[in-house]
Amino acid sequence: MVTQEKRPEAEVEPVEQIVEALWRVRLRLAWSGFKRNWKLFAENKIGLMGLGIIIFFVLLALAYPVMRTWGPWQDGTIYDPVIGYDAPVEDFEIVETEAEVLDPDTQMDAFTAQLWCFGAVAGDTCSIPLQPAPPGNGHILGTDPLGRDIASQLTFSTRAAFMLGLIAALVTVVVATTVGSIAAFYGGWIDSFFMRLADLVLLMPLIPILIVMSGLWEVTLPRLGVLIGILSGFGGTAIVLKSQALSVKVKPFIDAARVSGGSNMHLIFKHIVPNVLPLSFLYMMFTVTEAVSLEAVLSFFGLLNVNMSWGLMLQTAQTQGYLRTGLEFWWLLIPAGVAVTLLAAGFFFVGRAMDEVVNPRLRSR
Amino acid sequence: MLRFIGRRLVQMFFLFLLFLTLLFFLLDAQPGDITSQFLDPTIPAEIRAQLAERLGLDGSVWSRWWNYMTNFLTGNLGLSFQQYPRTVTDVIAERIPRTLFLFTFATLLSYVLGFALGKRLAWRRGGFSEHAVTISGVLLYTVFYPWFAIIMILIFSSGLGWFPINGFLTPELWRNAPFTGNEVFGQMILSLVIAGLILVAGSYFSRRQQERRPAQIIRLVGYGSAILFMTIFWALKPEMRPFASNILHHSILPVVTLALVAFAGVMLLTRGSMLETLKEDYILTAQAKGVPERDIRDKHAARNALLPVTTSFVLGLAFIIGGGIITETVFSWPGMGALLLTSIVSEDIPVAIGALAFTGVLALVAHLLVDILYAVLDPRIRIQTGN
Amino acid sequence: MTDTRTRSSRESILEVKNLVMNYELKDGGMVSAVEDVSFELKKGQSLGLVGESGCGKTSVALTLLQLQAANARVLGGEINLDGINLLELSPEEMRQHRWTDISMVFQGAMNSWNPVYTVGEQIREAMDLHWDPKPTAAEAYEKIVELFNLVGINPEMIERYPHEFSGGMKQRAVIAMALSCDPKVIIADEPTTALDVIVQEQILEELKKIQDELDMSIIYISHDIAVIAEITDLMGVMYAGKLVEIGPTAELFAKPRHPYTWLILSSTPSITGPRRALAPLEGEPPNLLDPPSGCRFHPRCPFATDKCSQEEPPLSEIGEGHMIACWNHEQVPVTLATAEDDSRSANGSQ
Repeated sequence: MVTQEKRPEAEVEPVEQIVEALWRVRLRLAWSGFKRNWKLFAENKIGLMGLGIIIFFVLLALAYPVMRTWGPWQDGTIYDPVIGYDAPVEDFEIVETEAEVLDPDTQMDAFTAQLWCFGAVAGDTCSIPLQPAPPGNGHILGTDPLGRDIASQLTFSTRAAFMLGLIAALVTVVVATTVGSIAAFYGGWIDSFFMRLADLVLLMPLIPILIVMSGLWEVTLPRLGVLIGILSGFGGTAIVLKSQALSVKVKPFIDAARVSGGSNMHLIFKHIVPNVLPLSFLYMMFTVTEAVSLEAVLSFFGLLNVNMSWGLMLQTAQTQGYLRTGLEFWWLLIPAGVAVTLLAAGFFFVGRAMDEVVNPRLRSR
Repeated sequence: MLRFIGRRLVQMFFLFLLFLTLLFFLLDAQPGDITSQFLDPTIPAEIRAQLAERLGLDGSVWSRWWNYMTNFLTGNLGLSFQQYPRTVTDVIAERIPRTLFLFTFATLLSYVLGFALGKRLAWRRGGFSEHAVTISGVLLYTVFYPWFAIIMILIFSSGLGWFPINGFLTPELWRNAPFTGNEVFGQMILSLVIAGLILVAGSYFSRRQQERRPAQIIRLVGYGSAILFMTIFWALKPEMRPFASNILHHSILPVVTLALVAFAGVMLLTRGSMLETLKEDYILTAQAKGVPERDIRDKHAARNALLPVTTSFVLGLAFIIGGGIITETVFSWPGMGALLLTSIVSEDIPVAIGALAFTGVLALVAHLLVDILYAVLDPRIRIQTGN
Repeated sequence: MTDTRTRSSRESILEVKNLVMNYELKDGGMVSAVEDVSFELKKGQSLGLVGESGCGKTSVALTLLQLQAANARVLGGEINLDGINLLELSPEEMRQHRWTDISMVFQGAMNSWNPVYTVGEQIREAMDLHWDPKPTAAEAYEKIVELFNLVGINPEMIERYPHEFSGGMKQRAVIAMALSCDPKVIIADEPTTALDVIVQEQILEELKKIQDELDMSIIYISHDIAVIAEITDLMGVMYAGKLVEIGPTAELFAKPRHPYTWLILSSTPSITGPRRALAPLEGEPPNLLDPPSGCRFHPRCPFATDKCSQEEPPLSEIGEGHMIACWNHEQVPVTLATAEDDSRSANGSQ
């Protein structure tokens, strides 16, 4: 519509301006395409919810540097997520025997007191550092068994989770799109090679392989991201994107581009890849979900070389024996577990909603 | 069809050799070996070297690889370093039934429920209940699984005290038991499989009925005879029953936890698959023909939506061990997954390769099974492979 | 087509009166898909509905079977099939009327078959549901063989799966299925669009033959005016959800009275008629979310006057069985328009 209105003017305008109008038109087309897709996406309440969750975690990740630089967490010896220490002290009145303890929150028998206040006798006051400490005393989510601030750990780990997810997703997209497009375009033995490779990757159970890898190298977060990206990129995602690329390859515009003298690389990267990309981005979301969960599982088993992550927070609580006793130490259990679950779910929700945009057959109308 | 299977078997064999080679080099590259890991560090160097020679740890990587491959193909998987001198085959054989029991139970449960709910969810689109079920489904699907398992234990074992906290049997009860745990497991798996087959047969024959009433009766008879079979089977083994029920009691929580998470995935997959099927023209044709809604859902839509779900079901079976690591570790269930984790962490390399190779075999068999099942379920493929 | 007059004296089988159907959008907007459509079909007659894509032909067809999309709202009118108003039936009653009274051959019948059942099973399903009493296996088989012979398929194909059929055979089998419960009316929505020309021709012949043999009433829906011309007694032209002209096919072709009919006929090449330059139809169909006031065709109409943009022309009779909705139909020339026609370029484009 817009270009039609412009037509009469363009005939009299100099060539340069027509060229300029072209990129403007492109920009406008991209923008209107984005708006149209956004409208479809926004119809999906669940997708919006996922986006909300992701934005919430972005804010949470930003909260860490903000709080450490300007906020109340500037004291590194207390609020450092890894080496910080703070234990609120609780005073106990020491009584002779266990039978005399009337209020276990403020009183303690002399025998037990020897653990903390050696040599104390009845009538003394024993001060015990409380760790893990429940929320309060400047620790909005309490402290962990080593006296470190949970809220600081939680926000610090958010950044790491995003970084991991992003690396894994980018590597997957680059690898899978390239492999899928090349396999589809050339076919023949190149196709067979990549598809058998994908079969082989699919044969490997991801968690055990990553555990084996963690024995070989020091698996840091960026390396884990790359590993997940490669495994997912050469595996299942490559197969899906190849079939998409195949359906693009047979479209007439590919022949048109070939006839007008496009090289193979030009055809693959200028014509096939852009048409496969929407689906790649969709799988990017699912890769993030997978990466976030895998990282948590591996750190939970203590197999990763990270100084702090959500999985590690749970591992600390688990190995120190605080998780088997019930919900008494809920602040050790709930925040980290909910964070992993919610972030993974957020990306999954967005992926599903994008799926409905990309794949019209899933839409309700 | 037979030629097709034969060709696939040959392909599978070579793929497996490749996989095994890959595993071998991955694990061979692990730092340290048995002589540095499991032995007293003060042992003299010549004895260490002697031992390495006897265990085949000297020589080049290639000769070790050749040794391993030839041994593997003759069924010799070596000795476990950690449980020396048990053979790897022995260690694995002991663990397999426990894992199979846990997972076939959980997988069947999750697929039956997930498929039934997923197809209904897709059928009734929109509305609050769909959103609620979808959101909780996704949350269950993406839940941080070890954490979820811990919460389940906290609630149902520590809190309500309904189930034991961990393990797969109560050691005190079994001290003087006349059976080994695996004998009981074997019987339990057997009875479960037969009962499952009865149910499958029942639903197959009920689906072939045109009328609603005989179909229902056949289905009920199926349920009834499965229950009857279970009752008779265990009534004939009174001495084994308390032990079986002890294992069952221990397995409920892990099975339910595992099934809940797997169920969510199946439900979401079925829903997606159903939604695609419902957009097909033949659904509109069926409506125009005046086919009742329920038959459209079950006979036309769900029957076609079943195909991808079946694939995921069979492929999912292959990932039992990978997925089993978490469940078995958190619930202290001594199965293949736990074995894999401990063997890798403690560098018991023969066991680790053995367990991973077993996973690979399972996955390959599952791939083959998918192809065969697809041919049975989808007439379009049936014809192609027949030629 | 010559016996139109004898057929018109027969009893009416399907009568659609003032049918109005809108699609409700998620944001609350209404798309006026079918607006005040009325027509009558007599026993043994065939009616062709033509129009551009999106003009509401398929919406009419789906509404006749009560299979409209979930967001469709039937806001008024009657669909009287053999004396019963289908719009007043409950979903269960309507289900029982489908296929026995009114059956359909779908657009893209290639995909009308469920891939996992044999063609025979799928035809049998309709018979099991609607025959009273239910056919025995032998009766059903016999009927399907009879139908397959009628539409020209080898009866051996009964136990084959849909993917073993060629495109034309699938289409024939769909017709066989539509006939399986001896319906009073068949709706054929683009019955031959996906087929190559030769098969198209054969199937149209087949349909015409069956219609004559079984004295069936058929509604054809097509954007291909040549198909309609060949096989129908009556022709209805739809534009933007409205029926703008309806009458005996031969008469419409010879003397189109509505400007839209006149223009689409002018843009269709004819092999037998005189050679002439084709006149393209300019402009776009209107946005049905906000249809034009007055006559919906007036923005594209070369004969439009002020009255056309203000008042909606009613469908009124101008000859025997020939109805038209236009204020200025006297101005429509008797000969078809050509590309050089001055009357068009003067005020034809917007």
